[in-house]
Amino acid sequence: MMDIKTAFPLDFSPVKKTTEFTLSSRPSLSYWQDAWIRLKKNKQALASLFIVVGLVVFTLIGPYVWRVDPSNQELSRISEAPSLGRSVLVLPEEVAYEEVVVAGHEESPTADGASLDATAEIQIMGVPSIQGVRFKWTPVKGAAGYSIYRTQTEPKDRESLGVPLSSIEGGNRVSFDDGFDLQAGRYFYAVVAKNGEESSKFKVISVDLKAGISLSDAQSISPDAKIGEMLKMGARPLGTDYLGRDMLARLIFGARVSLFIGFFAPLLYVILGILIGGISGYFGGKIDDWLMRITDFVLALPFLLFMILFKIAFGAGPGDDGIFPMLIALIVLSWTGAARLTRGQILQLRESEFVQASRLLGAKSLYLIFRHLLPNTLGVILVYLTFAVPSAIFTEAFLSFIGMGVAPPTPSWGSMCNDGIKSFLIHPHEFIFPALFISITVLAFNLLGDGLRDALDPKMRSQS
Amino acid sequence: MNMKRLVFVFLATASIAQAAPKKVNLVIQTEPPQLDSSKATDQQSNFVLGHILEGLTRSGKNGEPLPGVAEKWEVNDKGATFYLRKDAKWSDGKPVTAKDFVFAWRLAVDPKNTSEYAFILYPVKNAEAIVKGKKKIEELGATAVNDTTLKVEFEKPCGYFLGLTSFTTYLPIREDFYKSRNGKYGADAKDLLANGPFTLTRWVHGASLTMEKNPNYWNAKTVKLDQIDIPYITPDNTAQFNFFKDKKVDMIERLGKDDLPLATKNGFKMKSYSDGSVFYMEFNFRKGRPTTNKNLRKAIQLVVNMDEYITKVVGIPGTLPGKTLIPVWVRGVKDRFRKEYPYNPPKMNIAEAKKFVEAAKKELGGSIPPLVWLTGDTNFAAREAEYFQNIFKTHLGLELKIDKQIFKQRLAKMTAGEFDIVAAGWGPDFADPMTFAELKTSWNENNRGEWKNDQYDKLIREAQSTSSVKKRMNAMAAAEKIMLDEVAIVPSYERTVIYIENDRLKGVVRKQIGADPDLTQATID
Repeated sequence: MMDIKTAFPLDFSPVKKTTEFTLSSRPSLSYWQDAWIRLKKNKQALASLFIVVGLVVFTLIGPYVWRVDPSNQELSRISEAPSLGRSVLVLPEEVAYEEVVVAGHEESPTADGASLDATAEIQIMGVPSIQGVRFKWTPVKGAAGYSIYRTQTEPKDRESLGVPLSSIEGGNRVSFDDGFDLQAGRYFYAVVAKNGEESSKFKVISVDLKAGISLSDAQSISPDAKIGEMLKMGARPLGTDYLGRDMLARLIFGARVSLFIGFFAPLLYVILGILIGGISGYFGGKIDDWLMRITDFVLALPFLLFMILFKIAFGAGPGDDGIFPMLIALIVLSWTGAARLTRGQILQLRESEFVQASRLLGAKSLYLIFRHLLPNTLGVILVYLTFAVPSAIFTEAFLSFIGMGVAPPTPSWGSMCNDGIKSFLIHPHEFIFPALFISITVLAFNLLGDGLRDALDPKMRSQS
Repeated sequence: MNMKRLVFVFLATASIAQAAPKKVNLVIQTEPPQLDSSKATDQQSNFVLGHILEGLTRSGKNGEPLPGVAEKWEVNDKGATFYLRKDAKWSDGKPVTAKDFVFAWRLAVDPKNTSEYAFILYPVKNAEAIVKGKKKIEELGATAVNDTTLKVEFEKPCGYFLGLTSFTTYLPIREDFYKSRNGKYGADAKDLLANGPFTLTRWVHGASLTMEKNPNYWNAKTVKLDQIDIPYITPDNTAQFNFFKDKKVDMIERLGKDDLPLATKNGFKMKSYSDGSVFYMEFNFRKGRPTTNKNLRKAIQLVVNMDEYITKVVGIPGTLPGKTLIPVWVRGVKDRFRKEYPYNPPKMNIAEAKKFVEAAKKELGGSIPPLVWLTGDTNFAAREAEYFQNIFKTHLGLELKIDKQIFKQRLAKMTAGEFDIVAAGWGPDFADPMTFAELKTSWNENNRGEWKNDQYDKLIREAQSTSSVKKRMNAMAAAEKIMLDEVAIVPSYERTVIYIENDRLKGVVRKQIGADPDLTQATID
């Protein structure tokens, strides 16, 4: 035995704290940190993430930056191609048109219409502008009337005179006022004499039109506009539509509808799915059986039919917005996937060792669900959610395209596509931009979903 | 061996092609709902029926009556007698008799048959009383004296009766055939009998129609076409244009605004004509509708600028801004009706319109509920609706709900009165202002807004019961003025149609009255 002979007080004083220790492990990473690192390595997914964030910013901040009213119809700028604001001439108000009628013209009822002469001369009256082109011509001997044609490429023969503008009855009426849908550019007007039949000869005059705007319209943009000045019109970076509305502003407002449905519908139906799937998987037995049969039943319901039924059930009459019924229909009919997924996960986790251990230690159901089961299914659910978003956006676009979604004048990408496709061959920008927005958005969400799946659920990693 | 067969087949087709039937391919906007001539109301039905059936008269290029089944006729203030040609036959070879006309007309006024066009027979004695159930159908003033003589008694002197006899509702129907169809007459190709230049040989519902030359037609030698095929039915302008471009169809009856630059670019020769139709906003006067308020209607009338509308929205050159219900081409006493009886609707005045809408708001209890704008499902209908929606909203603060419906459904909704404003239109049935003027009478089924004005009814009755042209025109002009002053409608435009046809297709007649386009005299090289 050893005796303690002496004890020093120093022996009982605490040892100085020291912070020095050697690091022998890599930093501890949480599940989410780990996932983030993996996601960052995936370039596609990262780019998609930026697009998605950009889209949200575009939608939320857009209206404050781009202050153009999406429902404002500028009828002088119908179907304008994309531009950063062109300069137009301020024109005087239109003066009343007075028809030129010559005296002493003789119509010859016997003259053969086809062999009538062409008019000798066509004269422009006043200053031609996109508000109106007026011209007169010398009467043709024996003519009983004239046909006026207009085209934008120089006519080569009688067949290519273009659009018939008017058929004037009376050989003494020798002037015409054209104000039909004129745009800046060169026009060729042809005058053809007729007597029953139209003559095979014609006379052409060409007119160059500058972009212009009437004084009153100009003053509504800038109050001190004067006649003859050049006025810079507002930029239309994506052009205008068939009623002169700004495409960019409409796309921004359309994004609201698309993203509203795209985010809220999946969020709500995935929550509903988790709830049903969770209950089903955790309690099992009879409850599971019943809930799964209900799921099968809902899965079999046709979406489009129910969408129509919901619209009627909600008392949404013709011309009413179909967005709310669409949201409800999506929630009621689309939760099944999330429910099945959650049930499968919970069934698996419920029997795993750490849950068993927790239960042995006395954990209650609620604690088990919120502490162990849900957090472990969250990764899979999140991946499911990112895939659900583009499909909801696409559903909205599709329904609006067939006229079951938004009511005009509210724009949505789908309805804009529907409007644009009708004039796709002449004004492609009216269709291409909304279609592009739908495509890019859906693609971005899908790629992001792919990346998230790889990052959150390494077991399911795709083979790329 | 394969090669040989191929050559053989090729030669065979080549020799067949030489004797190829003269065939025209067309595309139409919508399918006829049915082809029972006593019930038909729409343009597509009129087009098909005008080619497969022939009435007492045919309508010429300018609406003038030409001999049809009737060889000659006598008309006076009391009635008319028609002498039918002996060689007029049905497609099954049996002769067309005066009884077939009597049967068809009785059918049209039979209250059990509920024809929307019963009113067009009102000039015939007792027709109106029969429609209202006050007399028996046997009492209709049309009798077959013998197989070839048809005697018609008039209710009142009727100055435009001859022009009516080419109209669809006046076309003949044979009794034994009608009854053998058990209520399905006109529902299918086999449920129809033809007496006109063509017969309907095939009708695939929703997809296509085929008409072939009728060898039993009395004037068959003047019919040059062997077949009119309608392989496509679509209201989509772009699709129609592409069919023409791909040479799948020989004609497009009407180009849309967006087709004009394309047609120019492709170098297609465009032709134009006025189809005589007038388009207007029709207000609903059924109880409880906000549009029963005159101030509201007045505000709407004053806020629109139809000049801007036709150039920017309609966009078809030659279109005229709407002014009155009776369009500019209709003849009056000696000259154009509108020249003789000018009516100038008020010009756009937004400040005034605002005052009217404020007054309307007060009368309607503080606010005006959203108005329902009923319209069709075409591109143009949507643009037009959105254009007016914006104008009503920005200047008057009125909400407009757009109800786009397919043709059939729109007609059903118009009849049921499920609208506040409907974008309506009317094409002439015969060459007289009456075809427009009687539209807004309280007894007319096509008065969809159910506007009712005793003075108007009285004036139209007056016009319908005199043979003096001057008196008739005066009465109609006075009636029209009442109707327009009350703003029962706001005329929007008078249509001009621009169309393209294959260079090889000749002799197609575009006209305002009767089957349009009329291919009965057409040929294709």
